[in-house]
Amino acid sequence: MAEKEIPILEVKGLKTYFTTKKGTSKPVDGIDFVLNKGETLGIVGESGCGKSMTSLSILRLIPSPSGKIAGGSILFKGKDLVKLPESEMRKVRGNDISMIFQEPMTSLNPVIPVGEQIAEAIRLHQNLGKKAAWEKSVEMLRLVGIPSPEKRAKQEPFQLSGGMRQRVMIAMALACSPEILIADEPTTALDVTIQAQILEIIKNLQKQLGMGVIMITHDLGVVAETCDQVVVMYAGNIVEHTSSKELFANPKHPYTQGLLASLPNITEDVEELRTIEGTIPSPYNLPKGCRFSSRCPHSKDICSERNPELFEVSDDTKVRCWIYSDNWNNQSKREEECLNEKHS
Amino acid sequence: MKSIAERKVLLQVNNIKQHFTVKNDALFKPKTVVKAVDGISFELYEGETLSIVGESGCGKSTTGRAILRLDEPSAGEIYFGGENLLTVKKKDMRKLRGDLQVIFQDPFASLNPRQKVKQILNEAMATQKSVVKEKRPERMKELLEYVGLPLESLERYPHEFSGGQRQRIGIARALAVHPKLIICDEAVSALDVSIQAQILNLLKQLQRQFNLTFLFISHDLSVVRHVSDRVMVMYLGKIVEIADKKSLFDKPMHPYTHALLSSIPVPDPTIKHERIILKGDVPSPINPPKGCRFHTRCPFATDLCQETEPELRELEKGHFVSCHMVEKI
Ligand SMILES: Nc1ncnc2c1ncn2[C@@H]1O[C@H](COP(=O)(O)OP(=O)(O)O)[C@@H](O)[C@H]1O
Ligand SMILES: Nc1ncnc2c1ncn2[C@@H]1O[C@H](COP(=O)(O)OP(=O)(O)O)[C@@H](O)[C@H]1O
Ligand code: SF4
Ligand code: SF4
Ligand SMILES: [Mg+2]
Ligand SMILES: [Mg+2]
Repeated sequence: MAEKEIPILEVKGLKTYFTTKKGTSKPVDGIDFVLNKGETLGIVGESGCGKSMTSLSILRLIPSPSGKIAGGSILFKGKDLVKLPESEMRKVRGNDISMIFQEPMTSLNPVIPVGEQIAEAIRLHQNLGKKAAWEKSVEMLRLVGIPSPEKRAKQEPFQLSGGMRQRVMIAMALACSPEILIADEPTTALDVTIQAQILEIIKNLQKQLGMGVIMITHDLGVVAETCDQVVVMYAGNIVEHTSSKELFANPKHPYTQGLLASLPNITEDVEELRTIEGTIPSPYNLPKGCRFSSRCPHSKDICSERNPELFEVSDDTKVRCWIYSDNWNNQSKREEECLNEKHS
Repeated sequence: MKSIAERKVLLQVNNIKQHFTVKNDALFKPKTVVKAVDGISFELYEGETLSIVGESGCGKSTTGRAILRLDEPSAGEIYFGGENLLTVKKKDMRKLRGDLQVIFQDPFASLNPRQKVKQILNEAMATQKSVVKEKRPERMKELLEYVGLPLESLERYPHEFSGGQRQRIGIARALAVHPKLIICDEAVSALDVSIQAQILNLLKQLQRQFNLTFLFISHDLSVVRHVSDRVMVMYLGKIVEIADKKSLFDKPMHPYTHALLSSIPVPDPTIKHERIILKGDVPSPINPPKGCRFHTRCPFATDLCQETEPELRELEKGHFVSCHMVEKI
């Protein structure tokens, strides 16, 4: 079914680079993924690995002039957003593709009643009168579970709790029934009970509206509960791309394996947690070979020489690691031979 | 963990309250009182880790700050090694301050950006008079070793370190004065999981090495499950449940604890657990609900719950719950 329809979003070879005094950083360095209607794609990875820059690139909201899309394409229903003039892009934002952030105040005006802000967003993209837009705005607030929405609509953001502001932002993002919702750490600043409410709301609205969701998070629990497919990023690269089921049952990349092993377990006791030694490399000074090589317990010579490509391990799984190439076994053999020579 | 009878109480908190008076912007309105912590009692045994969990604003940090006397509590007693912290004289407090240390969420905010690590550690030792001057360089080396930082770190500034390393500096500073109790307030909350695991392992190892007692404040229940011996759940300035870790996680009794535990997203898509989604937000601590403070969100609330505040009762050995209905649900 999904194969026949064109995907709503197809990101191909996306590169987003920054040029600063310190040099060139490559927070997004050749990213590919496909999002289908009604599907949720997770993007996970440690802070600084390029998750937010990927999502901001899709909406062409990268801080300029230091940052720019340096290559690749972003096809929204076949149309390349990278090439779109800014005036056209403005129609896409908030209408076709919406975004919600960790901090709701980045998208809310602190001194305007929230209902008015949502109504304004509606009127920007839809041909509705003031009154109709206001009514729709109140309806949206009700939809995201805000109690007495008529009253709340008239309040300014600071009069609302953090969880309520987050819901207002979701209401605003969804007011124009977008085809894609990008949620960048939407629940990271919230308590678990509120997080559960918000994730439930997103899930329900997704079912109703059939939108595709890109869920950016560093919380693997949130991934497991919401995502169909997952992209694991490390230092600007995708290192593993697979189904959510497969990711948790059979993590393939050493980084993914390390990440899952370092999670404290809610049902099981261990004295010591597994860790990944070291830290991520500086984006200004990326290693020549595999970007994970300085922290990887399996690293071999080839790893520090060449960055591996994404190897297709099965139909729905790709891994950027030499272990999954034919070279790996050859390399092992070579190393064995070296050892044997030394010993003989 | 030792059996309860053998354990020595290090800290005893008796019915402390922390009521903050906040000014109103309107001129003639009466002042409002935030009941951040509203009568809680618990003890901390030597060498254990007791965690405080609960949603933001429930009074976790305020409890920690009261013990450290960063804010003077409005009422109650806090005994530490037999002395009432809230009435001791200034000069005795200095010694006690060394016994009680704290590690915060954002080590960057609590480390002076213009001081090298060397100066930071030196200052900690100097104010507590815990280590004589001549011995300090030796002690600094030791401290860096304990927390796993290279020796060169002494000559560097906080901004030159990553988040995880800065947390190690914060830990070294706390250890510098030979503390007995360390309050960790969201100490690993800002760290990525792989780094968080490193710091959690370090804390556990140091606890064994120096027989430290931890009061571990966190909103992350998976982390709490990993580090704690006992767990205390707070809601709106009150303790709703306190028990050893195993009983709390395996057999939570309070409806709020149930909901809280069921909200944790589990990193395993094959587990479909039943989720209790609570309605609405936590009410304001300015006018907390009458009776049981949880009754506005509790699926089991009765008339009694709206009128009468439940007591914290010991329902099983060491397992305390404050709920009228717990036997019936
Ligand atoms: N304004 C900027 N100037 C230069 N580099 C930037 C800027 N913003 C972000 N970056 C780079 O992009 C990298 C990835 O950032 P980001 O996508 O925000 O990470 P994540 O969302 O995964 O935590 C950062 O490590 C940083 O080097
Ligand atoms: N100095 C203060 N003045 C007024 N209110 C305060 C002060 N400190 C904390 N509060 C309030 O007390 C309550 C408990 O806060 P806190 O202990 O920081 O919660 P937690 O650490 O559990 O998130 C909150 O409602 C907070 O706004
Ligand atoms: S390519 Fe080598 S260093 Fe990189 S993840 Fe695979 S084994 Fe580790
Ligand atoms: S006392 Fe009543 S309202 Fe409070 S938790 Fe128990 S059942 Fe719920
Ligand atoms: Mg980000
Ligand atoms: Mg706090």
